[in-house]
Amino acid sequence: MDYDALVVGRGIGGMESALKLGDMGYRVLVVEKEASVGGRMVLLSKVFPTLDCASCIATPKMAATAHHPNVTVLTDSEVEAVSSDGGGRFLVRVHTRPRFVDLAACTGCRQCEQACTVAVPDEWNGEMVSRRAAYIAYPQAIPQKALIERRGTSPCTDACPAGIRAHGYVSLVRSGLYEEAFQLLLEATPLAATLGAACYAPCETVCTRGELEGPVAIRRLKRFVAERHYATADGPGVTPGEPNGRRVAIVGSGPAGLTAAWQLARAGYGVRVFEAGPEPGGFLRQAIPAYRLPAELLDQDVANVTALGVEITTNSPIADVAALKVEGYDAVLLATGTPESRPLGIPGEDLEGVQAGVAFLRDVRAGHPPDLAGKRVVVVGGGNVAMDSARTAIRLGASETRVAYRRGREEMPAHRAELNDALTEGADLELLVAPVQVIGDADRRVAALRCRRIELGEPDDTGRRRPVPVPGSEFDIECDVVIAAVGLTTAVETFAGALLGAPPAGPVDERTLQSVIPWLFAAGDLVTGPSDIARAVGQGRQAAQAIDRWLCGERRGLATVPDPLGVVDRAEVLARQKSHSRRESGLRPVNVTPRPRDFDQLEPPIGEEDARAAAGRCLDCGVCSECGQCLPACPANAIDLSMRGNDRSLEVGAVVLATGYRIFPADLKPQYGHGRFANVITGLQMERLLAPTRPYTSVLRPSDGKIPMRIAYVMCTGSRDESVGNPLCSKFCCMYSLKQNQLIMGVLRFAEVTVHYIDIRAVGKGYEEFFEQSKGMGVNFVKGRVAEIRETPEANLILRYEDVDHGTLAEAEYDLVVLAVGVQPNQDLGQLLAAQGVAFDDRAYVDEVDEDYRPTATSVPGIFVAGALSGPRDIPESILHAGAAAIQVAAHLESLKAPA
Amino acid sequence: MSRDIREVVRDEPLMRDRLLELLADGPLTVPELAAAAHMPASEVMVWLMGMRKYGYVFEEKGPGRLFEYRYSAVKRP
Ligand SMILES: Cc1cc2nc3c(=O)[nH]c(=O)nc-3n(C[C@H](O)[C@H](O)[C@H](O)COP(=O)(O)OP(=O)(O)OC[C@H]3O[C@@H](n4cnc5c(N)ncnc54)[C@H](O)[C@@H]3O)c2cc1C
Ligand code: SF4
Ligand code: SF4
Repeated sequence: MDYDALVVGRGIGGMESALKLGDMGYRVLVVEKEASVGGRMVLLSKVFPTLDCASCIATPKMAATAHHPNVTVLTDSEVEAVSSDGGGRFLVRVHTRPRFVDLAACTGCRQCEQACTVAVPDEWNGEMVSRRAAYIAYPQAIPQKALIERRGTSPCTDACPAGIRAHGYVSLVRSGLYEEAFQLLLEATPLAATLGAACYAPCETVCTRGELEGPVAIRRLKRFVAERHYATADGPGVTPGEPNGRRVAIVGSGPAGLTAAWQLARAGYGVRVFEAGPEPGGFLRQAIPAYRLPAELLDQDVANVTALGVEITTNSPIADVAALKVEGYDAVLLATGTPESRPLGIPGEDLEGVQAGVAFLRDVRAGHPPDLAGKRVVVVGGGNVAMDSARTAIRLGASETRVAYRRGREEMPAHRAELNDALTEGADLELLVAPVQVIGDADRRVAALRCRRIELGEPDDTGRRRPVPVPGSEFDIECDVVIAAVGLTTAVETFAGALLGAPPAGPVDERTLQSVIPWLFAAGDLVTGPSDIARAVGQGRQAAQAIDRWLCGERRGLATVPDPLGVVDRAEVLARQKSHSRRESGLRPVNVTPRPRDFDQLEPPIGEEDARAAAGRCLDCGVCSECGQCLPACPANAIDLSMRGNDRSLEVGAVVLATGYRIFPADLKPQYGHGRFANVITGLQMERLLAPTRPYTSVLRPSDGKIPMRIAYVMCTGSRDESVGNPLCSKFCCMYSLKQNQLIMGVLRFAEVTVHYIDIRAVGKGYEEFFEQSKGMGVNFVKGRVAEIRETPEANLILRYEDVDHGTLAEAEYDLVVLAVGVQPNQDLGQLLAAQGVAFDDRAYVDEVDEDYRPTATSVPGIFVAGALSGPRDIPESILHAGAAAIQVAAHLESLKAPA
Repeated sequence: MSRDIREVVRDEPLMRDRLLELLADGPLTVPELAAAAHMPASEVMVWLMGMRKYGYVFEEKGPGRLFEYRYSAVKRP
C-alpha cells in the first residue's frame, strides 16, 4: 500500500483530516487541484463570531500540513480514477499538471510575475483585479512558489512552421516591448522583416480571433517590430557565440540557408554561405515581386546574418560538394531550393514568347524585364508563382493577362489573398482548361495557346478532384506571351549524385536532415519540394540543430524549435468569456488597385499606436504567451517551459473526500444584475475587499473607485429559492454577512448598511449575540425579499423590495450592493464517485448514509466525506466533521489489519 | 461593466503606458483619470488596481471627511 489514506481536497476540512491521521501515525496523501492549499477559508477576511483573522487560523494549519512528516501534498493535481480492490483498499490514478516552475529552485520572489506580459482576472481576488500568467496565487499561498498558467500552445504559435512564438511577440507588442519582440523573432530567424512582409501567415488562418471579426494581424506586427528595430538600432543586438573552431559551409542563401547560417553563427560556428546568384536571398530576392517584398527589407534582414561574421560569397555556384569538405568544412548544408521550372511538356514550348514563371520573375527582379507593353499574356498554372507572374505581367503593361488552370477556383493552390489580389489587379481566370500546344506564327513567335476543356473526376491522392480532358473540346486563346508556372523542381543533379541514391527514405533523414554522407545535410525546398518561406526557415533551424548535435554532440545555446504542448482548443478559448465585444483591426487595408503600373510595396507599414491596438485584439489563447520574459527575470533560473505533467497510480487504504462546496453563480439571478452592474458584488468579493491582502485600496466601488456610503445586503441569493432549484439554506451566509456588516462599519465609519433578509439564521454558540451586536452597531434590517435591482446613470443601484414588517413594496437607492450568495454541492468528482457506488442525496451532496451512528461514512466502505461536500457547513463545523472523518478512517484502516 | 472582465483585464498591459502618462502631471482620482483617458471609469478601476498591485501606482487620501483616493505614478528608473 502506497499510503494509508488519500485525502481529496485541501480546504480546512481536508487539512484537518490529513493532520489528524498524520498525527495518529498514518501515511496520508493529499491531492489538491489548485496551486495552493487552504481552500476558501484563507481568502476570508475574518471569521465569525470571534472576528479572528481567517488567515491567522488557516495559515498555521496549511504550513503544518505541508511539513507534516506523515503527510504528502500534491497540488495542481486531480484524482482521475478510483477503484476498489474488493478487499477494502483502493487503486487511484492521480494526474499532476506541470507548473513550469521548478519548485525546489523557486524562491517565491515574484520576479516572473512582474515581468509577465499576460494579464488575466485574479480568481483569488474575486476577479476584481488582474494577476499574471506567471503567478503565486496569493500572499499566504503554500507552497509560496510560482506557477505558470499554460492551457496549451496557442493556435498561432502551433501553426508556425518556422517555430516562431507568434503569441509571444504579439503579447510583447501589446506591452510596448518592441525590442524584446524583435529579439524573440531573432531566436528563430534573422528574416524578421521578410516574414513580416511576405509570409503566407498560416498563424492568421488559425487565429481564434478569426472566429470573431477577423484574425489578429500577426504577420504585419512582425514587420512593425522589425522595421522599428532597423530604424533605431545598429545591428541585430545579438553577439555570436564563443567560436568553437568548427566550420560549416552552406550552399544557397534562401530562407533555409540564411536561417541555418544565423543559428550556427549564434552557436559559435564559423559559417560561409555560397550563393550562385549575384545577391543573397534566394527566391526572396529572385522571385518574390518587389511589391510584396522590397529589396531594402531583405537587405536589412541579411545584414543580421553578416553582422554575426557569416561570410556570404555570391556568384559562386557550387557543383562539387566534396571539394568543400576537402577545403576543411566540418559539415556542408545544401539549401539550394527548387530553382528549376517544370516544362509544360507540350509542342511549341520552344517558341519565342514562352517563358518559365520563375525565370520571368527573376529577370524582372534583376532589372531586365521583358517588354510586355500592350501584349496578351497567358499564365499557365494555379499556384502562387502563377499569381506573382500574372500580377507582374500586369505591372509591365500587358494588355490582357489570363491565368489558365486545369481545375476549378476552389482547387487552386494559390493563397486566397494572392488570388483575390490578382483578380482585383485585372487578371482573368480561364478555369478547367489544359494547354495542349503553343501555336506559333511564321516567325516562330507565340500566336495562341491551344487548350482542351477539363471535367473534374474522382479525387486523387491529394484529395483534389482529378482533371479529365473532354474529348474534342480544343480551343485557342490568342496571345503573345505564355508563362509556364506549373511547378518547380530541384537541381540536385548538380551535386553529382551526392544526395541521390538513398531510397526509399528519400535523399535525407526527415528528422535530422542528414544525407547518406554523414557530413552532408540538406534543408528547405530542396528537401520538401516547393513550399514557403516559413517552412524553409523551419527547415533551416532544424538542420542547424542537427548539424550542431552531429558536430558537438549536444545542444549548446542553440535556440531549439520548441516542443509544443498540444494546441489549445479554440472553442474553449472563446467560451472563457460570456461575451466578446467587437474590435476591428483598425489597420489600413492593403491598397490593391486595378491595373497597377509600379512595383511599390502595397502594404503600408503600421505605426506604433496601431500596432499596439492590433496586438490588443489577441485573446491569449494558451494564456501564457511563451514570450519568455519570465526566463531571464527569474534569479533562481527556476522557469522551465518544457515541463510536462505526470500520472501516478497508487494503492491506498481509505479515501476522504473533502472537495468542499461551490459558490452559487450570482448571474443565475439576472434580476440582481451581477456581472452587468459594476457595483453589484458577491459576499465572497466583499470578503476580499475586507481582507488585509485586498485587491483594492479599501472597500471601494468597482465602478469608479469611490467610497460607498450606502451599502445593501441581499440575503439568500441562490439559497432557499426554488426558482434556481435550491430550496436549501446555505447556513453561513447570514453569519458572514453580519460579520461583514461589522467590519464595514469599522472601515467606513460613516457608511449606512442595510440588510434585506427573510430571517436571520444565527444558530451556534455566540451567534445570536453576534446578531444583536450588529443591530446595536446600527445595521438596518429590512425583512422581505428583493425583487429586482436597477442601475442609475451614476452607477448607483435602485433596489425594489418587499417590506414585510410594514406590508409595503418599496424602492431605495444604494452605492454598493452585496449579494449574500449561498453554496451548491461541488460535483467535480460526481461521475467518478457515482461509478464507484458513492450515493448522493437528492440535492447532489454526498450522502452520509448512516449519519447518526457513523457520521462521515459514505455508502462505500472505506470512502468518507469531510466538510462542506456533504452539506453546507461553516468553519467550526467543517473542522469537527473532518476530525470525525479521521476517526472513521482510522477505524477502517485498523479493520483492514485485523485477522479475518 | 459592459465588457467581459477577462477582456478588460487583458487590456491592462495595453493601457498601462497611457495611464501612466496621464498620471505624470500629478495625482488623479479614478473618475478624473477615466475622463482624461476617455475610457469607462469601471475599466480604468480594473487597470489601475492591477497597476497598484504590480507597483506602478500608489494612492493617497484626498482631503475631507468623505475623501477620495488619488493615484500617482511610481517613479521608475
Ligand atoms: C463569502 C463567504 C464567507 C464565509 N465566511 C465564513 C466565516 O466567517 N466563518 C466560517 O466559519 N465560515 C465561513 N464561510 C464558510 C467556509 O468558507 C467553509 O465552511 C469552509 O471553507 C469549508 O471547508 P471545506 O474544506 O469543506 O471546503 P473548501 O474550503 O471549499 O476546500 C475544498 C478544497 O478542495 C479543492 N478541490 C475541489 N475539487 C477538487 C478536486 N476534484 N480534486 C482535488 N481538489 C479539489 C478545492 O480547490 C479546495 O481547495 C464563508 C463562506 C463564504 C462563501
Ligand atoms: S513566457 Fe511570457 S507570458 Fe508566459 S509566463 Fe513567462 S512571461 Fe508570462
Ligand atoms: S488570438 Fe492571439 S493567441 Fe490566439 S491565435 Fe490569435 S494571435 Fe494567437
